[in-house]
Amino acid sequence: MSAFSLSSFPVLSVITWSPFVGALLIMFLARRHALLVRGLAVVATAVPLVLSIAIFVAYDREAAGFQFFEDVPLVPALGINYQLGVDGLSLLMVLLTSIIIFAGAWASWTVKVRSQEFYALLLLLVTGVYGVFVSLDLFVLFLFYEIAVLPMYLLIGIWGSTGEVRPQGVFGWAFGRTGVGTKEYAAMKLTLYLLFGSAFILVGILALYVAGDSSSFSFLEMELTQFDPKLQSWVFLAFYVGFGILAGIWPLHTWSPDGHASAPTAVSMLHAGVLMKLGAYGVVRLGMGLLPDGTLQWSWLVGTIACVNIVYGALSAMAQTDLKYVIAYSSVSHMGVVMLGAATLTEVGLNGSVYQMFAHGIMTGLFFALVGLVYEKAHSREIFKMGGFARSMPGIATAFTIAGLSSLGLPATAGFVAELLTFLGAWQSSHAWWLFPAVIGAYLTAIYVLRVTKQIFWGPPSTDPHFQNLPDARGPEWAALWILVAVILLFGIWPSLALGPVDTATMPLLNRLWVLQ
Amino acid sequence: MPEAGSPLVLEVGLGILMLLVFFVGLFTPGEDRRRVGVLTAIGLVVLFGFSWRSEAGTELFHGTFVQDELALFAKRLFLLATLIGVLASLPLRAAAFARRATEYYLAILASLLGMLVLSSARDLVLLFVAFELMSIPLYYLAGFLKREPEAVEAALKFFLIGTVSSAVLAYGLSFMYGIAGTTDVRGIAHALGAGHPMLLLGMLLALGGLGFKIAAFPFHMWVPDTYEAASTPFVAWLSVAPKAAGFVVIFRLYLEGMGDRVLYWVPAAAALATVTIIGGNLMAIPQQNVKRLLAYSGVAHIGYMLVGFAAVSANGAAMMLFYLVAYLFGNMGAFLVVEAVAQSEGSEAITAYRGLAQRSPILALCMLLFLLSLGGIPFVAGFWAKLFVFWAAAEQGLYWLVLVGAVLTVVALFYYLLVAKRMYIDAPERREPVPVPPLLAFCIFLCVLGVLVTGIYPKPLVVAALRAVGPLF
Repeated sequence: MSAFSLSSFPVLSVITWSPFVGALLIMFLARRHALLVRGLAVVATAVPLVLSIAIFVAYDREAAGFQFFEDVPLVPALGINYQLGVDGLSLLMVLLTSIIIFAGAWASWTVKVRSQEFYALLLLLVTGVYGVFVSLDLFVLFLFYEIAVLPMYLLIGIWGSTGEVRPQGVFGWAFGRTGVGTKEYAAMKLTLYLLFGSAFILVGILALYVAGDSSSFSFLEMELTQFDPKLQSWVFLAFYVGFGILAGIWPLHTWSPDGHASAPTAVSMLHAGVLMKLGAYGVVRLGMGLLPDGTLQWSWLVGTIACVNIVYGALSAMAQTDLKYVIAYSSVSHMGVVMLGAATLTEVGLNGSVYQMFAHGIMTGLFFALVGLVYEKAHSREIFKMGGFARSMPGIATAFTIAGLSSLGLPATAGFVAELLTFLGAWQSSHAWWLFPAVIGAYLTAIYVLRVTKQIFWGPPSTDPHFQNLPDARGPEWAALWILVAVILLFGIWPSLALGPVDTATMPLLNRLWVLQ
Repeated sequence: MPEAGSPLVLEVGLGILMLLVFFVGLFTPGEDRRRVGVLTAIGLVVLFGFSWRSEAGTELFHGTFVQDELALFAKRLFLLATLIGVLASLPLRAAAFARRATEYYLAILASLLGMLVLSSARDLVLLFVAFELMSIPLYYLAGFLKREPEAVEAALKFFLIGTVSSAVLAYGLSFMYGIAGTTDVRGIAHALGAGHPMLLLGMLLALGGLGFKIAAFPFHMWVPDTYEAASTPFVAWLSVAPKAAGFVVIFRLYLEGMGDRVLYWVPAAAALATVTIIGGNLMAIPQQNVKRLLAYSGVAHIGYMLVGFAAVSANGAAMMLFYLVAYLFGNMGAFLVVEAVAQSEGSEAITAYRGLAQRSPILALCMLLFLLSLGGIPFVAGFWAKLFVFWAAAEQGLYWLVLVGAVLTVVALFYYLLVAKRMYIDAPERREPVPVPPLLAFCIFLCVLGVLVTGIYPKPLVVAALRAVGPLF
């Protein structure tokens, strides 16, 4: 049995640390050897991909709970253990991370400047992401969280791009002075926002540690502890703000469009595709998982802000003229769907939320990969200057259309399943009115996605001489597109593939909440 | 002469070293007396070695002078910091450092002697005398380059504020003596049990006086100017050792033998910590000179250490000691990199760091590690330091203070990252690497080692710190 052979070696540790090993190898072995750097990066991301598919298959759905458990005491006196394990929820997130970063490694084939450092930092960051998803020790989780956040500063600051659309309007001068739209600004803003969030997370974790009587950071032990409702109330808010910033909750989302628009392709893919989910995952796992009273107390707020996210993000996306900003704001909108699903506290809603994390991750990863390709060929991100690219780059156009259709929730794409479940959950929840902003958001999404797709790809060709005879995707670039398109369609047609394990994770969580209700 | 186990061995040894330095300096012909510095460094290494052979738990002069775990911990810290400071001073270029080397190193050693005695003093008079012995050479050292107006100004500012704070301290101490009727610190702790308001007032006054010494906000005004004008290796040392001494005094006066009465200090300490963290961090933001930036960030770090004081627990005090060690490595290391860059570029401005990562990748990486440690990022020493003081404060129920501190670390990271941005993101103006004198490189290496080892394996230091504060509670 594959499950046996998998559980006999520390598969989660291998998944988590192989990008890190890859980063070390790249730094030490591949000095100024561009092809070797890329080869190592692909290998270091392929290993976790293969393994995460393997554990996805081998995960015992009957037994449920945390599997592939690893436990090594780190600082026994303080109750810090290197404790890893995955349940249905983290399983899907690990798979998502593997797919995105594997595609991202292919999509950044064209990074030429200081490519060695680029890949090393990227891989380091991925180790942090895996670590957060598989850690069952809150302290170790926090360490991984920091690793996932910090390399971003250099990745955006060095390899990012400065937007073409300059700030204007009443506050244009102020924006100009602070450098809004430049990569340095975006890098600093993103880093500070996320570290600001991590301060709240740290306080929350310490409070739970001190309040819990087990003096352990283990998630499993804290789960059994009944915390004081008052403590739960403010710690939930701390987690909601802390992780929520990373999930892009309104009004703390503003780092995300700037950051994603300025980041290099693979970093945008990873950040919008995976890191924002890391925030939502934190709210669900730590907030809802450990603090049932706090969750019941604040779910109205979480859901209402999620509705604002959906509509506000969609409206902002409509107003953009920079292609990358459109996608970035669409992430804000879609993360609202994720948070809304979680706030419904219903089975379908929470499943939809998790499904949306996955679906949006893949979809937005594909979007950013495509925007990167378009920019590389046409050297433009301005929507209304481009036009009719479908003739010269049919492959990219098709992939973009598929991503767009998933984004607006067309049946047979992963986005449809996610949105349908979430909307059903919203209707079943005690705040049925949440459904209306959510549906309006989906409608607005259709408008901006179709508008952009039509203008850039399917509309009349641009007369600009720069945009004549543009090439389609080539060689390794196809790899990223094929993988992501295939996943979108696969999970759109066969949703139970993911919903099975997810349900095993969400039901126990919800049962604890329902008991209290 | 006392043998190796005697409690006074370090002080007597240091006295002998000072005499040696004095006579060697006196009989060294010519303009270059830098060999005195080498002698000082060797002497300090020997003393540092001796400090590990000293045993805790002895008292002299009826308990006036006590060699306990805390004193030993502090003495090792002082010796290590001074050793790094002296080693880094050896490659200093200005002619004054060669010609007047004897004075320079003697003053450092005199101040060190003050610190050593201070960490063992459990009597108000000895404590105050030692405090002055530590402080007065510092004023002189701040103005060592006496031909430079900035240095003189800095020294004057430092001196004036320093003496005023000494006066406030002495005033507070006199209240304490007046009410308690004893100069023994334990007697005062005992007298505090009666809850006499004048005694409390005296102790708060003394806390104000100490606030000047440790440069807590709003008593920090001398810090940036002094740091900017004085020579960098000296500043690196000044930013760590005397502050650590101030904290040892705080431990002795406010925590030792207090029992439950420590709770009196929670509001004052928490308030002082809050304003210091906020003030230091906010004022660091607009700085364009790295030394000034580090000066203000140092003020903020004092605030974080005061968070440990506000916890008024064994854990809190131990974590302050841990913080001090982490701060020693991170801050001294950062100042030494500043010195290396300043020697090569002739500038201490942030702009001098442009593209350092492409010119001298290792030096830039060291600086990045120091900055990350100061910023409190995992896997370098500063993370544990911040985490531990927050932890101690959380145990005391001071969640709001933890939140303020944690949020302000983000502000701190902002200005640290501004330096990192210059090093890593900006393009260099010149290509050639920054030359680093070997001794300076060695000191930087020591600090990196300290930051990394403490960051990856903090346990031994935590254990040592907990043991050091054990007898206080």
